[in-house]
Amino acid sequence: MLGTIIEKELKSIILSPKFVATFAACSILILLSVWVGIQDYQASVEQYEAALKLNQQALSERNWAGFATSAYRPPDPMQIFVSGVNNDIGRLSSISRAADVKLRNSIYSDDPIFAVFRFVDLTFIVQIVLSLFAILFTYDAVNGEREGGTLALTFANPVPRAHFILGKFAGSWLGLVIPLAIPILLSMLLVMLSGVPMTPAHWQKVAMLMGAALLFFTFFLCFGVLVSSLTRRSAVSFLLSLVAWVVLVLIIPRMGVMAAGQSIQVPSMAEIESMQEGFAQSRWDEYKNEAQERWKERMSQTQGLSAEERTVANKQKMQQWMLEDSQFRAKVQEEIAAYQRRLTEERRNQLALQESLALTLARVSPAAAFQLTAMTLADTDIYLKARAEDTMRTYRDEVLELAEEKAGKQGDAMGHAMSFSFTTRTPPEKVSDEDGSSDGSGSSGSSDPSGSSSGDSGGGSAKPGAFRMSFSGGGAESPTLDPAEVPAYTPPDRTLEAALAPSILDLGLLALYSLAAFAAAFLAFLRYDVR
Amino acid sequence: MFRLIVEKELRDIIGSTKFAVTFLISALLILLAFYVGARNYQLSRAEYETAVSEDLRQMEGLTDWIQAEHSIFLPPQPLGALVTGVSNDIGRNIGLSSRGSLAAEDSRFNDDPIFAAFRFLDLEFVFKIVLSLFAILFVYNAVNGEKEQGTLRLTFTNSVPRDTYMLGKVTGSFLALGLPLLIPMLLGCLILVLMGVPLSADEWMRLGVVSLGGFLLLGAFLTLSLLVSTLTHRSSSAFLALLVAWIFAVLIIPRTSVLLAGRSVEVLSSDEMNYQKARLRAQMWEEDKGKMSEFSPTSGNAQDAVKEFNAYMAEVARARQERYEAAAGRLEEQRRNQEAVQQRLAFGLARISPVSCFSLAAMNLAGTSLDLKEEYLRQARAYRETYSRFISDKTGGMRRGGLILRVMSEDQEEPEPIDPHEIPPFQFQPPQLETALSSSLLDLGILALFNIVFFAGAFISFQRYDLR
Repeated sequence: MLGTIIEKELKSIILSPKFVATFAACSILILLSVWVGIQDYQASVEQYEAALKLNQQALSERNWAGFATSAYRPPDPMQIFVSGVNNDIGRLSSISRAADVKLRNSIYSDDPIFAVFRFVDLTFIVQIVLSLFAILFTYDAVNGEREGGTLALTFANPVPRAHFILGKFAGSWLGLVIPLAIPILLSMLLVMLSGVPMTPAHWQKVAMLMGAALLFFTFFLCFGVLVSSLTRRSAVSFLLSLVAWVVLVLIIPRMGVMAAGQSIQVPSMAEIESMQEGFAQSRWDEYKNEAQERWKERMSQTQGLSAEERTVANKQKMQQWMLEDSQFRAKVQEEIAAYQRRLTEERRNQLALQESLALTLARVSPAAAFQLTAMTLADTDIYLKARAEDTMRTYRDEVLELAEEKAGKQGDAMGHAMSFSFTTRTPPEKVSDEDGSSDGSGSSGSSDPSGSSSGDSGGGSAKPGAFRMSFSGGGAESPTLDPAEVPAYTPPDRTLEAALAPSILDLGLLALYSLAAFAAAFLAFLRYDVR
Repeated sequence: MFRLIVEKELRDIIGSTKFAVTFLISALLILLAFYVGARNYQLSRAEYETAVSEDLRQMEGLTDWIQAEHSIFLPPQPLGALVTGVSNDIGRNIGLSSRGSLAAEDSRFNDDPIFAAFRFLDLEFVFKIVLSLFAILFVYNAVNGEKEQGTLRLTFTNSVPRDTYMLGKVTGSFLALGLPLLIPMLLGCLILVLMGVPLSADEWMRLGVVSLGGFLLLGAFLTLSLLVSTLTHRSSSAFLALLVAWIFAVLIIPRTSVLLAGRSVEVLSSDEMNYQKARLRAQMWEEDKGKMSEFSPTSGNAQDAVKEFNAYMAEVARARQERYEAAAGRLEEQRRNQEAVQQRLAFGLARISPVSCFSLAAMNLAGTSLDLKEEYLRQARAYRETYSRFISDKTGGMRRGGLILRVMSEDQEEPEPIDPHEIPPFQFQPPQLETALSSSLLDLGILALFNIVFFAGAFISFQRYDLR
């Protein structure tokens, strides 16, 4: 009997005009979303490769003393199926001693035109369209038959209610899932033909994603049957299902996040950066005073010598002094970067609290659970930014260490030395330059307001009143670096296990919701008045 | 007879359970959108004010204006909370200390990706997703449903002109669905007032026009549903066709058109532009480095000579900045022009859907359209001039962006700390009402046109409708 019920349900779905229309619409949408995803991925790869080339060119114009580069997040083929937050978070970060890693230049902030109507991906189609169609096919599964009078007729035979409801569910499931497999398989073929570099791990992730989509779809099928078993009229069950769909798919996920946003306050990046700026300013102020003292001390070592002797002695020690200054500056930069990291870390912890509350609230909806699973599997989840910044930090430490080593070998000081001579009888003066170091060669960042400087007053060769100024050292004349020597930033591949572990909870929730909806439908139907 | 048909339609809709449920949901969503919008505005405002005061606080204790690292922030717009547009996608903070082109960083979604994952619930979203769906739900069987029940033939046994019948149907449905929505809308406005969201008369007017756009969108979906209902004989087919049309209008057409335009029109990438700018800066700096040794003072006094040197270098930096801005401006203009072509194509295609027209009109009116980024950067550039002048006045002609020498002697007095509150505040001016209205007029016009075309289609189709 179960077989007959399944067969009847299958036939009634597949032969209905509604099926033809929805199947055609879903097929077009699935194929369209994957095609758009491929196009978008290819555009991202082009942009990424162009950016890398430009970065290499920029590197080839630098020297090790003035080393600074950028790290770019590479596009991942999984973004074809799940764009997640990929377009919302920054694509790149500057890698320099002067500042901590910070992702910036997101696709949407660079080209807000793409943000206006957002992105269509397969997850979106499953989440919005397929769930709506699941309801459309099952809202009258039970009460529709009652209205048509076929329910009483069916139960005139010795049909167990359990078989009927199971048959209904299995029939709808097979009738909708099997035809949907066709456009999904076609879209996979499209991905393969488009030359997207999918690895076996990617295919495994896609398979898991399809599994999650199936669970999500199953929930809405069960939910439709449940509402149909709880109501007497199909018009009412349709309305209720539609309202529930709006609430579950569109409202709860957003409300959960917004409620968490309003309950747990996280300081804005602007506030954090102002605090960081304040710290950097005061630290550079201290450094400047120390530098002045140091130079005074250095100058005092040559006091008592004649002007010419002093010039010669100073010139001999200049390289050593510059290296010393460079080390002091590097220390200050590291302290500032460490402070920046600490503040960023504190913000991140608070953000984690907010996110945890938001996700707990949002997970009330299977749509949110599905979206979270999909994003986690595709590595485009809300933690992508933190992950990318962490790996970039490790990269930063590595390349900066290399740059220091290389600069040391070449004898470059990480800064500029400036010498001037001015013939006057005034006592030795403290000299400092402002803002000169970060210009042009970029040997130190914008938050480093001090460069190394040397005062060479009383030069004998200069005419009275003459003023000479020139740049020396600081790598300004050093040979440019070979970009091939700079290791490329490559984030470690996230294994399937790493992606799967955090999505287990959401997959479990999806299974639980489906099971609960089916059990409730089953129980409701056991008490259903078939007349 | 017209009144009778309108009255019947009104009663049919208002007396149904469907209406009670959908009205409740819509009312709740609208009120929620207003409440959440107001709360979001308050939080964003507080965040903005903290950022501004923190920016000033970090400068306290400095003794030299030239060291000040000043940033400006994009203030939240009250209407932006109801129509978020791209306001969460574009950078909000601009540092003025860098000498290159200004760049806005730290978009809301980049700072807090969780909001990007699930987005916000705003009034625009409620109108374009929920109300459009409900409009379909009420009118998909307006004609063929009556035919299925047999009431259509009964009606036409009386002397009812077909045009009066159609007009009555549209008017009745519009009044039954539109008028009740005014209640939560007005209550929402009350929420804004009670929660202290400072809306000016200008902004109330904009909100009024946004709501008008919302009702035009509702009308477009009502008339489209009526058209489909007159084109089909079974209500289930009409519903299905409308659902597919809804998915295309709301979800597919707007997004696909932007992506198609993105692929068709090449735009200079931001990476390429930034690289070119960085090269320009480096080249110009190299050219200027030699100028330092060309300096010769007129004064024999060290203090005066250094002052002269600073003035000389400030002039060199100013000239370099001018040259740089001219060259960088050309690059930016090239990108802007390409973007404009891309935008025209994208929005031209997207306007096939009434939902895109409504979104574009609402964003223009709320000041959260694509122009927001350009406008913010334009005003930031103008402000940088004011700020540079201020710094120049404070430092006696010195500007950031060049080499500055300091001569300090042991017996020099301890310098006074600066007062950062003297810095002229940055005040972002949203576009004028007239500008916003004129840029949204096209989309509102198209929305009205959709109403007329769909109604005319329904009207013509009904003239030939088989009532049996």
